[in-house]
Amino acid sequence: MTGDVERYLMVGAILFVLGAIGFLTRRNLILMVLSAELMLHGVSLSLVTFGRVHNNFQGQAFTIFILTVAACEAGLALALVLALYQKSKTLDIDFWSDLREPGLPSHRVAEQAEELAFVEPPPAEYPHLTPAGREPKAKQLAASKRS
Amino acid sequence: MQWIEEHWQAIALVLLGGGIWWLLPRSVSRRRIGPLAASLVGGYMLARLFPADSPVGESFLFFTFAGAALLCAILMITNRNPVYAALWFALATLCVCGLFWLQFAPFLAAATVIVYAGAIVVTFVFVIMLAQQSGATAYDQRSRQPLLATIGAMLLLSLLINMMLASSPDDLQVAAQRPTATAAAGALSVPPDQQSIAHAPMRGLGRSLFGDYLFAVELAGTLLLVATIGAIAIAPRRSRGTL
Repeated sequence: MTGDVERYLMVGAILFVLGAIGFLTRRNLILMVLSAELMLHGVSLSLVTFGRVHNNFQGQAFTIFILTVAACEAGLALALVLALYQKSKTLDIDFWSDLREPGLPSHRVAEQAEELAFVEPPPAEYPHLTPAGREPKAKQLAASKRS
Repeated sequence: MQWIEEHWQAIALVLLGGGIWWLLPRSVSRRRIGPLAASLVGGYMLARLFPADSPVGESFLFFTFAGAALLCAILMITNRNPVYAALWFALATLCVCGLFWLQFAPFLAAATVIVYAGAIVVTFVFVIMLAQQSGATAYDQRSRQPLLATIGAMLLLSLLINMMLASSPDDLQVAAQRPTATAAAGALSVPPDQQSIAHAPMRGLGRSLFGDYLFAVELAGTLLLVATIGAIAIAPRRSRGTL
């Protein structure tokens, strides 16, 4: 029984830590919120395990409240992300690093050089359909181009 | 062999952390299978730190769900495409629900599937669709300070593991053999014939929620209402701008 309980706690701890890594390293606003949700999963798993150890329902009831708060948090965070995206047209969190205290050194000097070298992958090639129907007269074509 | 057993925990942490560090997005694309397997082996070694005497079937289910949750979580935080990350998060949620089910929380498992996989992930995918229509972006191809973040997170994990190892197993056993102490204190929720959560999980949870935590349930409902109003107020209108 005991080792069994600690294995579940271990999974909860690993999920929490993975969410923390995702929150710290990713630069996409949406992915940061998603990583926070992963951390909540780890905490929920630990709470349910504690409830089973103590043989009562407090852990499960607490997890239901976590679920409620997570739903509220996701809704509000995504509304905020949309509002921020409308201002900046990018989801990059580094765009908002101007909000920090002035005069601090930037850790992005090395990254910016590599980012400039980032080439956007070419757009996907879709097949072109041959236009159907009667071919327009040359006079009509010129008229439509002029207008 | 002796050396491996002495440094079992450190080797497991290095395998897990090194695999994740290698997988985090960079400007160059790297091979993914090897480090993924290394992280899974590290997670398995961490689970082996605690020998369990549970039956074979439950052990098999635990390792299936836990391994799948670990795999999906790693793939989620390391994927370059936000849509794939959201889908891996949905799979990780399903695996966590399996672990809930194994621990006598069937209502919680169902509720988590409905709320997370049904509502939250769909909302995430919608927002990705609204905000990131241009496809691959530069900021998804690079991660910020991957080495420092991984080392810090692994230090935190080792701290948690050592706390678990330091707590004597007797504490947990004493707590497990004392089912009636808390139930007698809060006699409202659990009648004396259903003190075990394995006996009637749904009924006990319902009594607990709408008996002990009735005020908190009302408060949570109010919180949901406030969050709904707030989200509608914050979200940008179409008339004021474009989305």
